[in-house]
Amino acid sequence: MDDIRFAERDLCVTEAKIAARDVQVHYGTNHALKDVNVDILEQTVTAFIGPSGCGKSTFLRCLNRMNDTIPGCRIEGRLTLDGQDIYDPRVDPVQLRAKVGMVFQKPNPFPKSIYDNVAYGPRIHGLTRNKAELDEIVEKSLRRAALWEEAKDRLASPGTGLSGGQQQRLCIARAIATSPEVLLMDEPCSALDPIATAQIEELIDELRAQFSVVIVTHSMQQAARVSQRTAFFHLGRLVEYGETGQIFTNPHDPRTESYISGRIG
Amino acid sequence: MTDAAAPASPAIRDGSLFAPDAHTRRRNAAERRFRAYGITAVALSILALIVLLVSVLGNGAGAFRQTFIQIPVTIDAKIVDPKGNRALDEMKKVTTIGYGKQLEASMLAAVAAAGVATDGLSRKDIAGLLSKEAAAGLRGMVLENPDLIGRTITFRALANGRIDGYFKGRVSMDSAKLDSNISPAQLVLAERLRDAGLVTVAFNPQFLLGADASEVRPEAAGLGVAILGSAYMMIIVLVLALPLGVAASIYLEEFAPKNRWTDLIEVNIANLAAVPSIVYGILGLAIFINTLGLPQSAPIVGGLILTLMTLPTIIIATRVSLAAVPPSIRDAALGVGASRMQAVFHHVLPLALPGILTGTIIGMARALGETAPLLLIGMVAFVREFPAAPPEGFFSPASALPVQVYNFTQRADPAFVERASGAIIVLLVFLICMNAAAIILRRRFERRW
Repeated sequence: MDDIRFAERDLCVTEAKIAARDVQVHYGTNHALKDVNVDILEQTVTAFIGPSGCGKSTFLRCLNRMNDTIPGCRIEGRLTLDGQDIYDPRVDPVQLRAKVGMVFQKPNPFPKSIYDNVAYGPRIHGLTRNKAELDEIVEKSLRRAALWEEAKDRLASPGTGLSGGQQQRLCIARAIATSPEVLLMDEPCSALDPIATAQIEELIDELRAQFSVVIVTHSMQQAARVSQRTAFFHLGRLVEYGETGQIFTNPHDPRTESYISGRIG
Repeated sequence: MTDAAAPASPAIRDGSLFAPDAHTRRRNAAERRFRAYGITAVALSILALIVLLVSVLGNGAGAFRQTFIQIPVTIDAKIVDPKGNRALDEMKKVTTIGYGKQLEASMLAAVAAAGVATDGLSRKDIAGLLSKEAAAGLRGMVLENPDLIGRTITFRALANGRIDGYFKGRVSMDSAKLDSNISPAQLVLAERLRDAGLVTVAFNPQFLLGADASEVRPEAAGLGVAILGSAYMMIIVLVLALPLGVAASIYLEEFAPKNRWTDLIEVNIANLAAVPSIVYGILGLAIFINTLGLPQSAPIVGGLILTLMTLPTIIIATRVSLAAVPPSIRDAALGVGASRMQAVFHHVLPLALPGILTGTIIGMARALGETAPLLLIGMVAFVREFPAAPPEGFFSPASALPVQVYNFTQRADPAFVERASGAIIVLLVFLICMNAAAIILRRRFERRW
């Protein structure tokens, strides 16, 4: 693992954006996540790693209540965003998801124009008063997602006509158009080639300035490259959570070490 | 089916690539046999379709053409308006008998003027070439336009059904000898009149626009009331079944919790789609007519029954097309903070629309061809009056196309066979149009993701 290049770790902010306390997730009779305690920091990229089926995607989907749509899913424990319990009955998941955006594993642009894809979120949340403001948001989001140069001349053409990497950047632009505070990414590069992956990783590092980014990844190199903090999940438990450098070079738990050195998983 | 994982046998290992071994030959033969079955099945269906179309078109094409006798008629004011005041109420008291006499005289005059030999046929026999409907047609014309009184007009009268049959090859000299309604001498006269240019066979718009006619005058029978009745019912089905069906399926597919109750509803919807249509007829008779007191033979009742019949089809088709929309689209919409309803209406529904429309139109096409339930609610009745414009027309008696076909086939006169086939052609044209609309809508709204 000598080739792993660690991201610079300038953890200027140490405030917990999202805090999880004793979170349990059940799918029907299957106890998918056990006793997860984690603090996700602001302006930090947090990577969730672990073998398939270890619960990292499940936990990610808990953070913006996307699990609500899965029948039989039950969540216990306490999950807070800025100190507010996101599973409080008074919370409207729609508002929560405007604050906690999500990018999915497979690029899933709407079968609409590039412009409409990005403008959809601001439109439904009523973030703009007129077309000019909306145009501005669309341009800003596409610029931040590093797609503006490629897309500016074809904003009216369908988003599904872009290449895979471009589609994923479009999805990122769509997610950041509503100015969320946290951006969840569920294996955003698993369907992309190395060049597109490198572009997205670069993008994630830039997004860190404004958002708290949580990324689920199967690639340990990717976790090491982009994240400041890493959480290792195994069999539904959070085994170890800490600074990325420490996790990769000096893991405390023998399971983490086995996984990172390729012995399990 | 043990050929999947078997290790290569020595026969394959040592054999030539050019000579298939016994096992390969057997497999190839099985494939060839299967293809042959398939081709046979397709060929048989095409053959059946061709036979059906040829027989329907062969029998029914004649219904769109009719034999007319064109004669000059002087409309005598003394007969049609005895009081001479042109008051419509007074004129309506003159029955078709009065007009018939006038028509008879005009016919004799026209035959004489054309110089056609009548071979001693009686006045009645000569006038018998005209349809019994001709006098009613003339009366209708005069009542509609009283200015014609006193003038001489060229009247295109329907010919008797037997004369029409003679020119279309249905009636022959031999059959006329045995027929009390027509004699060979009349047929000879008809032929001479055709040579003189008085008798013509021409396109007959009244077949599509006119009302049904009684058993003894098949030449006047038309489909107008039936087409209108069917159209009214389709409007009712579309207006009721599409919103209800789509709303029900969206709720069941996207919002309803998955539990025992929704499972039960789902099973029952699937069962309803398989219920024989006549059962819906009995249900409609009991509920809509006997309990709610809606009128018999009315398109509203037929439309409601056909709506009940079409709903399960629409619900099933809509649910299938909603379920076919990839979940990633829903995730994407929910992920940017859309509510479930926004996700459904902004993203899922537009993608499911082609399937929904196709399902709806196919369901309506089935409803259009449905006969059995309509027989039970009295739409089989003989209706000559056109229903009024909607919405009142929904409550007045009407017929329906498939019922009209059934009606025509029940009548004794062989001329109605042609009418029935003609009505089937009209029905098929409607169905083809609806299916074409389904295909066009599908193409237009289809989007890839």
